[in-house]
Amino acid sequence: MRSVWKFFASVELAIVLLIVLTVASVLGTLIPQGRSAAEYAARYGSLSGLFTGLRLTSLYQSAWFLAILFLFALNTIVCTLSRLGPKWRRAFRPAPETDAKAVSSMRLSSRFRLPLPVASARDAVAGRLTARRYRLDESAQGERRVILARKRRMGWFGSDVVHLGLLVILAGGLTSGLGGRRAQLSLSDGQTADVPHASFQVRLDKFETEYYPDGGVKDWKSTVTVVEDGAPVLTRVVEVNEPLTYKGFSFYQTSYGWDWTAPSLVLELRKPGGPAAFKTVTLKVGEQAAVDSPDATRVLVSRFVPDFVIGEGNRIQSRSDQPNNPAAQVEAWKGEERVFSGWIFAKFPDFGQGHGNDPMSGARTNAAAGAPKIAVILKDYAAAPYSVLEAAKDPGANLIWLGCLLITAGFFLAFYWPPREIRVVLEESQGRVDVTAGGQASKSRDAFKSEFDGIIGSIRRPE
Amino acid sequence: MTESSLFTIAFVLYVMALVVYFAGLFARRESWAGGALILAVIGFCGHTAALILRTASSGHAPFTNMYESLSFLSWAIVLALIIFGRKSHGPRLGPYLMLIVVGLVALASSPLMPKGATPLVPALQSYWLWLHVSVTLLGEAFFAVAFVASLLYLAAGTEEKKARLDALAYRAVAVGFPLFTLGGLVFGMVWAYRAWGRYWAWDPKEVWSLITWLVFALYLHTRIVMGWKGKRSAWIAIIGFLAALFTYFGVNYLLAGLHSYA
Repeated sequence: MRSVWKFFASVELAIVLLIVLTVASVLGTLIPQGRSAAEYAARYGSLSGLFTGLRLTSLYQSAWFLAILFLFALNTIVCTLSRLGPKWRRAFRPAPETDAKAVSSMRLSSRFRLPLPVASARDAVAGRLTARRYRLDESAQGERRVILARKRRMGWFGSDVVHLGLLVILAGGLTSGLGGRRAQLSLSDGQTADVPHASFQVRLDKFETEYYPDGGVKDWKSTVTVVEDGAPVLTRVVEVNEPLTYKGFSFYQTSYGWDWTAPSLVLELRKPGGPAAFKTVTLKVGEQAAVDSPDATRVLVSRFVPDFVIGEGNRIQSRSDQPNNPAAQVEAWKGEERVFSGWIFAKFPDFGQGHGNDPMSGARTNAAAGAPKIAVILKDYAAAPYSVLEAAKDPGANLIWLGCLLITAGFFLAFYWPPREIRVVLEESQGRVDVTAGGQASKSRDAFKSEFDGIIGSIRRPE
Repeated sequence: MTESSLFTIAFVLYVMALVVYFAGLFARRESWAGGALILAVIGFCGHTAALILRTASSGHAPFTNMYESLSFLSWAIVLALIIFGRKSHGPRLGPYLMLIVVGLVALASSPLMPKGATPLVPALQSYWLWLHVSVTLLGEAFFAVAFVASLLYLAAGTEEKKARLDALAYRAVAVGFPLFTLGGLVFGMVWAYRAWGRYWAWDPKEVWSLITWLVFALYLHTRIVMGWKGKRSAWIAIIGFLAALFTYFGVNYLLAGLHSYA
């Protein structure tokens, strides 16, 4: 038991663990985390099995990484505790007794005589020290007085406070990992969703995207109502950087999109080369509309993709959910004759019009031995937008903030609140008092020297 | 005067300061460094005005793209130079810090860096942008001071000079480490929690900030508890600054992640 304690109390272990954590962290940024097995196989070939086996592909969640963190926490606790006792006694149960020789060998020292009885000399010294906010611990023996004056004693505990903060943060991380709940809610306007693990629901009243004049997105705003037992409780606008918090759950604006499964399309029918549309129809994918015109009788849409791209095997797919290159597969019929068939593009209205064939498959349509009889333009498209909110319950977050506060305070104490110590020995002989004073500070020694000199000066030459 | 002309004036003054610093170094004229520092201070004033004008015209914090953040980082290093570069603080770091500053400003001025002020994407619309980036980059500027002092330590000849450079590097870390912790890690976590709903996501930028933090934690522990001073300390401070530089720079270009602004 004793040797286990000694093992964890060593700073050498802390240094080894710091190095191991650093190396592991670097490794986790060199190997992309949490990708698919296929991606690793493509990237690392025969090594991919080894990497996934060692959990290098989900390194920060792996048992061995967590074990290192656990050892690190244990090491921090034992290291801190084993040094805390002596420090505590030194700070709060000091032994003022010392001899003049030890005092005069302190970093700063001064010896002089005061023509006063020892009690008055003690009062003079103590008065000067307390005026400078020193706390005194004293001992008296006959004609001998010893004063131990200290200030900023908390500075000794700066590193302990940082370590405590670190442990609180690790505890917070553990709490978040074990008790945290997250879910993505995709909501269209007016839709209500249950919040997993919660006793209430949220309803999206309105989702808006605001744009800058140059077309860039300025903001996404979801007006959200919390519904509890069927009754609305509160309504708030959720934006990026402005989450809504209710009963331990926070709701973040994380994403958005359009429901492209049933967009509403506006199609224009023209004579080839003709400037004006002879007919405009609005319809959805899979629907057909009757057209009352000498050139066409009906038009239908079989498919729509928001971001047209030709993928592997010449398959048509959507690169993203963003309407970067909206395209529709359209047919137009005149009685039993197909007068138009192919993909049409909202952003490239002329593309695909001249051939009357499917530009991708290369298969000519039966009607189009020559030029198509009519042209179809994808004039507009509209899909219902939806907002993606992340519902998160993170019970560890408050521990994290507490830990951050402790670390910040600890750094301040450790670096900018250095303890100062002044010892004074007063010994009366023949009606006069020999004064020996010494002082030391762990940091900002120049400032301490001027304070020390000031105190000694004011004792020797009282106004 | 426009922001870009003020920035150019600052650049020219920094280059002049650099030339005077090194001329003084080669001519062994200790006093020239004072003149170089004055040039640097005047350049710093122009640079400050450029940053203020940029903020006023764009309406947001001047560190939302690589050009802006490079400009701010070089500004912060000049600030650290003014604080730590005086003679009373020991051997002169000015020439070498100025070399870093001129390098960063040249990089910011290069055609590779788009200089236009673009409107803020929703994720950056937060006052945490000010706190997180400015405090982090200030911390990194003091790491640069520790880096230069450590390099000079390794090159220094006399024991007396070495001792002063070692102390100087430690003092710079004592300023930089708390600032970096507060700005980079604490403010970063608070902002991430507000914007993304999670305070830590093991994003490469986050991990590299943690790596930088661990290296400087190692610096302090080996130094204070194990009494490592001098050469080994100097190497750790150098590695720490390089880690900070990679966090700032390399992660954006070499590793993909959430934090893809600057």
